[in-house]
This record gives sequence, C-alpha cells and structure tokens, in this order.
Amino acid sequence: MIMKKLFRNPLSMAGLLLLLGFILVALFAPWIAPTPEMYANDPYRVPRYGWGTTPEPPSSEHPMGLTQGKYDIFYGIVWGTRTAFQVGIIVTGLSCFIGIVIGSTSAYIGGKFDEIVMRFVDIFMSFPFLIAAIVITAILGRGLDKVIIALVLFRWTGYARLIRGNVLQAKQDEYIMAARAGGVSHPKILMRHILPNTIFPVLIQASMNMGSIVVTAATLSFLGLGAPEGHADWGQMISFARNWILGTPDNPLAYWYTVIWPGLAIVLFVLSWNLIGDAFRDIMDPRIQG
Amino acid sequence: MLTYIARRLLFLPVVLIGVTLLIFVAMSFLSPYQLVSTYIKSPEELKNQSLDDLVRKYGLDQPVHVRYVNWMKNLLRGDLGYSVSANMSVSEAIAKRFPATVELALFAIVPVVLGGIWLGTISAKHYNRPLDHFSRTFAIIGWSLPDFVFGLILLMVFYGVLGWFPPGRLSMWADSIVLTGDFVSYTGLNTVDSLLNGRPDIFWDSVRHLIAPVMTLSYLWWAYLLRITRSSMLEVMNKDYVRTARAKGLTEKVVMNRHVRRNAMIPVATVSGSMVLGLLGGVVIVETVFDYKGIGLLTATGAQQLDYTLILGTTLFYGMLLVLINLVVDILYAVIDPRVRLE
Repeated sequence: MIMKKLFRNPLSMAGLLLLLGFILVALFAPWIAPTPEMYANDPYRVPRYGWGTTPEPPSSEHPMGLTQGKYDIFYGIVWGTRTAFQVGIIVTGLSCFIGIVIGSTSAYIGGKFDEIVMRFVDIFMSFPFLIAAIVITAILGRGLDKVIIALVLFRWTGYARLIRGNVLQAKQDEYIMAARAGGVSHPKILMRHILPNTIFPVLIQASMNMGSIVVTAATLSFLGLGAPEGHADWGQMISFARNWILGTPDNPLAYWYTVIWPGLAIVLFVLSWNLIGDAFRDIMDPRIQG
Repeated sequence: MLTYIARRLLFLPVVLIGVTLLIFVAMSFLSPYQLVSTYIKSPEELKNQSLDDLVRKYGLDQPVHVRYVNWMKNLLRGDLGYSVSANMSVSEAIAKRFPATVELALFAIVPVVLGGIWLGTISAKHYNRPLDHFSRTFAIIGWSLPDFVFGLILLMVFYGVLGWFPPGRLSMWADSIVLTGDFVSYTGLNTVDSLLNGRPDIFWDSVRHLIAPVMTLSYLWWAYLLRITRSSMLEVMNKDYVRTARAKGLTEKVVMNRHVRRNAMIPVATVSGSMVLGLLGGVVIVETVFDYKGIGLLTATGAQQLDYTLILGTTLFYGMLLVLINLVVDILYAVIDPRVRLE
C-alpha cells in the first residue's frame, strides 16, 4: 500500500530513480571509472594526473576535469558514491542496532533503570551533533573509521528514544499480557512479541536519515577531519575546491568544475533520500490526510 | 509558572555535571602528555621543565576521580588552559571570538524565524496547489543542500563574480580603524559598535560581510521551519474550533492569524531548541567557509590542528551555552502553551 503510494507520487518517484542511479553507480564503479594499473591495489585512491596543484578544466580524458593536486574529479565522484553508501549504511546500521537494543530494554524494564538511561540519552542529545562529531574525530584522530565511530556515538540516542516510546505503548497491549500469563520468558517476549510490532517505524526513520549522515560525514571531511587525502570522498573534493573559488582575473568562474561536480553529487544523493522521506512522512502522517 | 522555572533551575546543575563528565570521559582517551597542554597557562611554563614534571605537577598520574575534581576546580576558576593554535589562553580566545558569533547568530535568527513561518503559512494556505508545490520544492532543495556547498557557491557568485560580499568580518581598511584606540569597542559586535562610534561606513562594511553567511544559514533553516509550520498548520486547520470560527463568519485573515497560526506555533516552538543546536553547529561550517572569525572557526581550526585544549574548552563553552539556551526555550515554551506548566 505504502509502496504503491510512493510510486504514484512524482516527487518520491524522482527520489527513487535518483537513488537507483546512485546504487548502480556504486555497484558498477569499476566499469564506469576503471582503476588505472598503478593504483590497482587500492581502487579508493583517486588517481593523479601530473604534478602541481592548479586544477585543469574538463577534457576528453578527464570528463569532469582535475581538481587541486591533479586528482581526477570523475573518478573521485564515482568511487566516492561507494564511500557515501559505506558510511551511510554502517553508521545507520550500527546506531540503529545500539539504539534499538538500549531503548527497548530500557522501556521494557522500566522504572529507575529507564529513568537513568533516559537522562543519559538526554545528555548525549544536548550536544550539537556536528560539534560532538568534531570533538570525537579530533580526539580519535583522522580517518573514515573514526568518523563512523563519532557519528554512531551521537546517533543511537535518537533511535533509542523512538523505540522506547513505541515499546512503552506496546507493553500495555493485551497480547503481551497474554504472553506473560502464558509464562513466556522476558527476553522472548521482547524479541518475539514486542520488537516485531514496534521496529518498523524506527527502521524507516533510520533509513531516511541516510542522507543527513552522509552530509555530516562529508562535512567532517570538508573540515579536514575525515578521509585521508586522496581517498575518494565527496566532502574532501569540495574542500579542495575552497582554494579555487576566485578563479583567474579574466575569468572569475575559471575553476567552477572543482565545486560544481562534487557539490552536485552530494546534493542529488541527499535529495533522493529526502524526496522519498518527505513522501513517506506525508503518507504515514494521518493527521494531514483530512 | 514560578514552580516550573524553579524545577528547571534545579535540574540545571545535574545537566552541567553530566556535560562536564561527558567531556572528561572524552578527555580520558588522550594520554597524560597530550593532556598536559590543557593545564598549562602560558608557554613560559614549558621552560626548564620536562613533560614528566608537568604531568606530575598537574596530577595527571593521579586516579580518575582526583583528576576530575582537580579539573573541575580549574574550570570553576575559569581556567581552561593555553591554546597553541590561537596563541592565547582558551578563555581569552573564547571571549574575543564569541561576540562575532553572537552577531552572526542575531542577524540570522530574525530572517530565519520570520521567513520560515511566513513560507510555511503560505504553503499551508495553498495546500496541494502550485504555490505549495513550489515552496515545498524550494524547501526540499534547501534541506538537501549541505551548507558548505551552498556557502561556497554563494562565495563564488557574490564574491568571485560580482565582488559584492567578501569573506571575513571586515575589510582591511575597516579592520585597521577598529583596531586603533580611537574606536571604542562597547559590545564586540561591529555593527553596533560602529554606530555607537558614529561610523556608518564601518557599519555598512560589516553588514556587507554578514549577508552571505546569513543567507547560507537561513536557507537551510527556512526549509526546516517551513516544513514544520506547514504540517502543524494543516493539522490545526482541520480542527473543530477552526470550523466554528469560519461558521460564525470571521474573515479568512482573522481565522488564519488568530485561530490557526497561534495554535500551530506550538510545535514550532518545540523545535526551536533543536534549531538552536543546529545553528551552533552550522556556524562552524559557515564561519569556516566565509573565513568569519568567530567561535565556530576557532573550533574548526583547533580540531584541524589537534589543539585539544581549545577543542575541549570550546565544547565545554558550547555545552554551558546550550544548557542556558534550552532553559530559556523551555520557559518560553511554557509561556506559549499553558498545558506544559501543568504537567
């Protein structure tokens, strides 16, 4: 039913198509942008063509041009799609898992335990997400794995809160009472009876957050805290562009390609998730149906 | 109402202790040698002393709870250590840079709030008609446009091509005037100070530098506010009391402004807390993109140069600030929605 509505809405349809495009690019990256012989041991390293730092405009060999340090933009964007999915999926998966485990146990046990866990969550949530992520990556050191840890650390709390609310409601339902009266053990009630009935909205919410997670990861790379230099990563490509905003005296837009291509990649990626998410929210929200 | 505020105030120290604990735990991932810098007050201390001496002097070889108490004592004295990247003590750096961020935030918050609510109202009034689709598309694009990409594009167009809005906080000539003794710095906000000093040219110069960062901050949050205002207006518009208001012959304008929008503002007020959180984060990026020397750029530079003292100091500052802002937001919320007070 939901799927049908998603396919009927032109905006969410556009989002789904965009997302499909990105998935195809990520899957077929080795065919779309083949790795040169020299870099074969690490395909995620963006190949450089030449010495010096000045970017070079698009040409037949390099369809999107070379950015600062002569890194190939097209290659970086294609393989950067994989990086984006990796970061998005790992962060979403891990933080969702941690959030669901902590949130549902906390709600199921209830009482003092629940109170303490929730105050703990409150403290985590009282920090601006981006600043917390900056602090953690700065302390752990540079690198994509550190970015992932930082994002997970400050993401699980949202899911914990969400599932907690759902579990608290489900706990009162009659079928749970019935299960308890029937002598089913607590872990089994939680796993078999409560979670299957409460997990769905959390999973949807989590998958819709993929876009914003990828943006935050890119932001950290942009600030120089993410992927090591030369790793295929959209945020880093945009940070390269920072020094070339001004162009040359006779052509102020001389280096447009350094910011536009990677910028476009990240905007379209996030847009695809947001288009689907926005339609989802309207479909799921019964209050604005009337 | 008073008991509500009192209860919130009582909760304040608990949150503050939580925030400091969290930062302290983060700090414990660093080695004592890395941490020493957070205790040193000036570069002179490094003369004639080995790092081991300093580690011992500041008790960094002590057990955790002793270290926490010591650290808290320093904090309460306002001593946050010495920052290498800013080349001054952290509290000095924060005091110097904070007014710039306040100025940016003040200039951003008015267009963000008024614009977002206005757009959301229009969108709801024209539900599922072209104007609604248009403003929603505008919002979805805004929501998807990372601030650093949008900021760089603005910089390219308005600085690179048109030369209207340069990066930084002031032009070179204005900066040299502000730094002289004749120019009295009352508030640290250049726009206010320049008017108080009777220098409209400097006022205009600082406004020119604020426009592009404010545009960057606004677009994203317009999108956010538009979405929330729209859906909560739509919800309220279906309520019985709105139908009653229409039935008794009130004009559409009165129904919308008095009956719908007032009630629709409650969820908007709820998100204002998270909006402040987001704005503080957004400021880091916007200040970095536009080379605007506020506390966000300070934090970003500190993080890039692994200046732990500075990062921990500014984070602590952010934490305190947020606790206070949240308190204000909660109180305002109780003012808007009487039901909150009774809970």
